[in-house]
Amino acid sequence: MSIMEYNGGSVIAMVGKDCVAIASDLRLGVQSLSISSNFQKIFPVTDRVFVGLPGLASDVTTLHEQFRYRVNMYTIKEEREIEPETFAQLVSSTLYERRFGPYFIEPVIAGMQKTPSGSLKPFIAATDLIGCLNFAKDFVVAGTASSKLFGVAEGLWEPDLEAEDLFETISQTLLNAVDRDAFSGWGAVVHLMCFFEGSTHPLAQPRRSSTNRIASPVAP
Amino acid sequence: MASADGGAYSYSLTVFSPSGKLVQIEHALAAVSQGTTSLGIKASNGIVIATEKKSSSILIDDSMIEKVAVVCPNIGIVYSGMGPDFRILVTRARKSAQAYWKIYGEYPPTKVLTQEIANIMQQATQSGGVRPYGVSLLVAGWDITRGPSLYQVDPSGSFWAWKASAIGKNMVNAKTFLEKRYNDEISLEDAIHTALLTLKEGFEGQMTEKTIEIGVVTVPTQAELEAGKVEGTGRFKPTFRKLSEEEVRDYLAL
Amino acid sequence: MDVSFAITGKGYVILAADTTAAHSIIKVKLDEDKIKALGPHLLMAYSGEPGDTVQFAEYIERNIRLYQIRNTYALRPSSAASWIRRVLADSLRSRKPYAVNLLLGGYDTNTHTPHLYWVDYLGTLVEVPFAAHGYGSYFALSLLDRYHDPEAPLEEGLATLKRCIDEVSKRLVVAPGNYKVKVVDKDGVREVEL
Repeated sequence: MSIMEYNGGSVIAMVGKDCVAIASDLRLGVQSLSISSNFQKIFPVTDRVFVGLPGLASDVTTLHEQFRYRVNMYTIKEEREIEPETFAQLVSSTLYERRFGPYFIEPVIAGMQKTPSGSLKPFIAATDLIGCLNFAKDFVVAGTASSKLFGVAEGLWEPDLEAEDLFETISQTLLNAVDRDAFSGWGAVVHLMCFFEGSTHPLAQPRRSSTNRIASPVAP
Repeated sequence: MASADGGAYSYSLTVFSPSGKLVQIEHALAAVSQGTTSLGIKASNGIVIATEKKSSSILIDDSMIEKVAVVCPNIGIVYSGMGPDFRILVTRARKSAQAYWKIYGEYPPTKVLTQEIANIMQQATQSGGVRPYGVSLLVAGWDITRGPSLYQVDPSGSFWAWKASAIGKNMVNAKTFLEKRYNDEISLEDAIHTALLTLKEGFEGQMTEKTIEIGVVTVPTQAELEAGKVEGTGRFKPTFRKLSEEEVRDYLAL
Repeated sequence: MDVSFAITGKGYVILAADTTAAHSIIKVKLDEDKIKALGPHLLMAYSGEPGDTVQFAEYIERNIRLYQIRNTYALRPSSAASWIRRVLADSLRSRKPYAVNLLLGGYDTNTHTPHLYWVDYLGTLVEVPFAAHGYGSYFALSLLDRYHDPEAPLEEGLATLKRCIDEVSKRLVVAPGNYKVKVVDKDGVREVEL
């Protein structure tokens, strides 16, 4: 039995055209026994950044609290919101701090990164449990269904997906992957962040992040 | 009872005098105002910081003396006051910048680093067994959020931003001079010349590339920003650099 | 071998825990109370390693009480759960972790809502409509998937709980004989007879 598979759960993030999406299942179990069908694994960091924390459920909460603390301190001290890439570095260094007694989490980061010209571009990244960063251009996966997620995503994802198509792609990828994984499933959630070129001031109103339950938890 | 100038309150660092002063800090400021003049000017496309570098004997190898220091690729500092104290602060500031880099994968914004240095200096006004740092600093840097910024830090730990300022021996005259010369549209080239002219005002002896030190912040162009990190290095192009003796000589010649 | 259940309903949480204290295969006590009232509107059922359980429960009880004395008001259930989780999570990476599993039932007097938290010795915390620890969970969770109603009045909730207890008695080889049942609602905490 691996600690990484003790509670189950999976996360995926995908890049689209001027948009980015991150999705997860909602199951929490103790090995094969399901305890909850409403366990949050993806957390908002700022208006433009989300982090997904699949792995040991205790560390999901601990790390979420840790990141919330560090990001709050950053925001106050620097008088600005943290950028996705900077946050990814913070995640990496936070995990590496525990190199020889790690948190059993493989984080996934998704966000819209500010560019020098003042617009926003999609950003995704993932790390292993000791903080080794993986910046991908297409998609990143983690959790007990990661092997299945890789396969389905490889087949469904294509470059420059529009927001609606990205939503459909990530939803279908997640649902079909977790259906083949005994430790993931029991409801799912998708977060979508978009940038609208039409807005006169790029940073004035580009962020519309929408959250969708794509599959309801099993009714008690 | 200690006498002469400060009275009983002049020795204990942590005791306020009845008039509400911490006299040791005022003495530190006095040490600063005896130090050689340093100045900084914020231009439209950069910042210049400059200082005079005087050695007490012609036998000293002045290539060893460094009064303008690079803290990290986007920030540099210059001081007036006590050289050894400055050295300690430079080491601490560089460590702080590297610690920041280890966490966030980028170098700190000027304001954040200035705050770090100011905290170190403040702690020396409230801790046991230490004295305040005998220096004032000018911190010049560039970052993506605030652009070019120029800060002054005092021995008390207070800090604030300037468009142009001077510290040290001739600061009052130098500031008056800068007030007359400064405008918001000044270019970096003009600012460097203004900096040299200002230093010249109170300069004793010959101004040469050996007796002047200059550091500049160059604001990156939009194209440079969009190009991102320099190929193969994984780093952005540095925005702060010290001028070489040759460059200083050329500016002095003009 | 401990068995504990919890169910939320309309404005209440029911907690039930068996009353057996065992030393390996021997029952040494038949009326042990394994549900502590941590405050005027907060209950905690604890199970796990004998020794750790009482030690931990008392440590939590006293610190929650200390908070109440210092601040003149009690921690609300969500905050109490969060703090208790933190104690377990810190303990997990210490030299000798507490091996204690918890069910936390509370009534939030600010929002007038009942809350139930499932907590294990790893520091896992999740809010649930119903929960169980121990061997009983293999029977109770599937029954509760079928019969739980978040809008059920107390009588119905107790009837559903009885189903779980009866099922365990019928099917579990090492079923405990007696249970203590406590309820928390707007009126506070009290023990009920099934």
